[in-house]
Amino acid sequence: MNDSKWTWRLVSLSSIATTILLLVGFIYAVSDILYPKGEAAVTSLPAETQTPAAASGGEYRIMALGDSLAKGTGDNTGNGFVKRTVDGLLQDGKARLVGNMGINGLTTAGLLEKLQEEGVRYAMRQANIILLSIGGNDLFGDSGILDTGGDGGAEIPEGASVPVLPGTAAGDTGTDLTEEEAPELTPESLLAGLPEAAGRLGEALQRIAEINPEAHIYYVGLYNPFGDVQELLVPGNQAVTAWNNAVMDLINTRGNMTLVPTFDLFGGHLDKYLSSDHFHPNGDGYQRISERIIQAVR
Amino acid sequence: MINLLPLIRNECLKIIKKKRFYVILLILVVLVPMFTYAQMRISERSRDKFNSDWRLEIQQQITDNQNSLSSDRIPEEWKTYRRIFVQQLQYYLDHNVNPNEPSGVTFTREFLDNSVNLFIPLLIMAVASDLVSGERTTGTIKMLLTRPVRRWKVLLSKLVALLMFVSLIVLSVVIISYLISGLVFGYKGFNVPVFTGFQISGDTVDMSTVHAVPQWKYLLMQGGLIWFVSVVVALLAFMVSVLVRSTAASIVVMMAALIAGTILSNMASAWTTAKYLFMVNLGLTGYLAGTPAPIEGMTLTFSMAVLAVWGLISIIISFAVFTKRDILN
Amino acid sequence: MLLEKNVGGPPVVLAVEGVRKKIGRKWIIDNVTFDVKEGEIFGFLGPNGAGKTTTIRMLVDLIRPTEGTITVCGYNVNKHPEQALQFVGSIVENPEVYTYLTGWENLQHFARMQPGVDKARIAEVVDIVRLDQRIHDKVSTYSLGMRQRLGIAQALLGRPRLLILDEPTNGLDPKGIKELREFVRKLAGEGMAVFVSSHLLSEIQLLCDRVAIISRGKVLAVGGVNDLVARNSPYVLWELEPHSQAEALLGMHHGISVLPPDEVTLDDAVTAGMGPNSIVTVMEETLIPEVVSLMVGAGVTVRAVHKINPTLEQLFLKLTEGETID
Repeated sequence: MNDSKWTWRLVSLSSIATTILLLVGFIYAVSDILYPKGEAAVTSLPAETQTPAAASGGEYRIMALGDSLAKGTGDNTGNGFVKRTVDGLLQDGKARLVGNMGINGLTTAGLLEKLQEEGVRYAMRQANIILLSIGGNDLFGDSGILDTGGDGGAEIPEGASVPVLPGTAAGDTGTDLTEEEAPELTPESLLAGLPEAAGRLGEALQRIAEINPEAHIYYVGLYNPFGDVQELLVPGNQAVTAWNNAVMDLINTRGNMTLVPTFDLFGGHLDKYLSSDHFHPNGDGYQRISERIIQAVR
Repeated sequence: MINLLPLIRNECLKIIKKKRFYVILLILVVLVPMFTYAQMRISERSRDKFNSDWRLEIQQQITDNQNSLSSDRIPEEWKTYRRIFVQQLQYYLDHNVNPNEPSGVTFTREFLDNSVNLFIPLLIMAVASDLVSGERTTGTIKMLLTRPVRRWKVLLSKLVALLMFVSLIVLSVVIISYLISGLVFGYKGFNVPVFTGFQISGDTVDMSTVHAVPQWKYLLMQGGLIWFVSVVVALLAFMVSVLVRSTAASIVVMMAALIAGTILSNMASAWTTAKYLFMVNLGLTGYLAGTPAPIEGMTLTFSMAVLAVWGLISIIISFAVFTKRDILN
Repeated sequence: MLLEKNVGGPPVVLAVEGVRKKIGRKWIIDNVTFDVKEGEIFGFLGPNGAGKTTTIRMLVDLIRPTEGTITVCGYNVNKHPEQALQFVGSIVENPEVYTYLTGWENLQHFARMQPGVDKARIAEVVDIVRLDQRIHDKVSTYSLGMRQRLGIAQALLGRPRLLILDEPTNGLDPKGIKELREFVRKLAGEGMAVFVSSHLLSEIQLLCDRVAIISRGKVLAVGGVNDLVARNSPYVLWELEPHSQAEALLGMHHGISVLPPDEVTLDDAVTAGMGPNSIVTVMEETLIPEVVSLMVGAGVTVRAVHKINPTLEQLFLKLTEGETID
């Protein structure tokens, strides 16, 4: 009897109090959403993030930046050369991946934009090794070869926080380039954009060095993915070599940068080391690139 | 002649003695630790990967989402969703605020966002679906309606008791998830800033009205919105409970409607008329977080209006049917 | 239709006038009229499915009549349920109470739904139905008899002037039935009008002062139980030897009709104790001594004579021309 009396009092009073509280919250929420007052600049902290964590002895802190190669497109294991490099360096001791900012289809212009993002800069400051793969899309993207299918970025990154449709998670890439579709390529058309792209790359390298002067930058050189197409072999080779040379010129002026050549790795073995899209390396191809990088790091 | 208050008291005591409310608390006490553990595993894994540096984690998240934008295989709506998501993450990063600062409060905030569409409505149903149909199943409705009390008063007392418990359920969800997740993530975090006021238009986000809100206030606002949603769900379940004779049938009807809502929300967009269904409008907290609405053209005002209309119609039908109907068995 | 005249007497508590109810296209209740007076026990007799429960539900506003009026103490039940139902205590069908509450909590619950019922009154009705030992236990632990008593306690809470009991003896053991009968008589003695429905003739006959007989939604007869019964002559059973001579003698006697065995509608319980050669007759009681001396004079041995009182069943059979009561 008394028990029920107290239950009733407790329930009625607490529910009335709760209802009032929730009503207040409701009114707050509705007015906040309907009449928002922008005041972020006042309340938020300015963005200059802190200097890298104290340089720990002998630890490789690796950060990757660049295009679909950095991302690992074409590798069925999804590892790409970045993960493989980290795994390889782990045998030497401590190595960890700070972040992989590879984005499918990134060009040198896109890279420059990326370098202004605070998150990217922050990640770069945490690293002492920066792996850079860029330029392929400048060289081949503008030419129209890849326009048909974008840059084959059908892979959904692991850990993406948005829901994934089952059908899109398939491992193969979107680009299915056939010889017939390839337009006429001349060395001239391939090289047309080169000076500007090289200029942007120089600027990017400069910025990276400014953001993190401590880090060593490894630039992954280009290979000619069209070596197996008769009419593209020579112009492709010429363009890629010209680009690599231009990069070499940029890099040689600085001490903490290394060009990792890949031209020879794929030379006559495209069928072995390219993935089914005839453009990106497959797992074995990435493995060879990462071995080169590891050699350069050691 | 008879005051409403004793009737409400009767209904409250019946809900309590029937252990419906305890069942809800029990469900929370069992399930929240599971969610907490899952969340703990996620944060452990990212701690290993990113050396407990949330900025790297957020940046990686941004990069991953950007990568998926270039794919042709992803539906355009999802790209829009990701573009908006990326912009919001970028905003948090630019302002050096960790959106997922691990704490009991953050967990609670995310838990509320995730449970507003289905989990909390299900808890509400556990009480509401039984209120009238339960009395009909056991036959006690005859005892109830042969007392010298007008039928509308009987029904109103039930409705008021239900609304009282709706508030208590919402509060319980918040408190239990805070207390349990706090064991793992710590009990601090009430003053961590959370950004709100993202104005979404198309696939860009207007940041001009974004502002920071301390997390306690954000929780309060979420609670308020969830309360509104819960009241509407309660009214609907109440109506079904009046219309349907058995509690089991009443639960099935409401459950089917709610689950249909989550499926429709995910399929979304193509069928725009679906936005007039109450089930796709339950995610009011999304407007606070700046999550794009499941169907183009939905705004907070729109969703609240849709919910309010459904709720009102439910009340009208409930009372019209209950006061007129013959109790045949 | 047999309707008795209302000659003054005690005030009418429940008046049912020309009530009809249509569900779908079917009139399931067709023209029910009767009234119940203060201090009387009114029986409502009919086979299952005759419309007893539907009628009772209309009395307490669970179902609205399509036509006709139901008045309790001057208030129309459907128009003014708040006033009318104050005077009514009822158990419709089974005494369904909240099994997850204790007996006491159940009574409190219903007490809150009517004016003027305080804790003392609850204790009083608990005492009346003698549930005081178990009243604070959960109803789920109660036997059917106890639930029945709790239901009655609930019905009595508001000091009703009309008590409606729907098949009150269902599920009770003989002792419980006897107690209930005494209890109902006591309540009626205190001035309460009691309305009891049953499909059992014996029950109504033992308990009620007046009765309405309903079949297929129609009231066939209303009247005092004794008046109705008196319209029939009693059965008299004879055990005589030699059989054939006796049967011939009986058949010749004026005012006695011998029933062929297949027309006998007596209950098995009544005929069980009798020999196989017994003869069933319908005759006036006053003729028995005369017939016995006649038999003795003719050299017939009279082994036993049983008088069986007229029953409602006979009346019912007469009224419905064959429909039986199960």
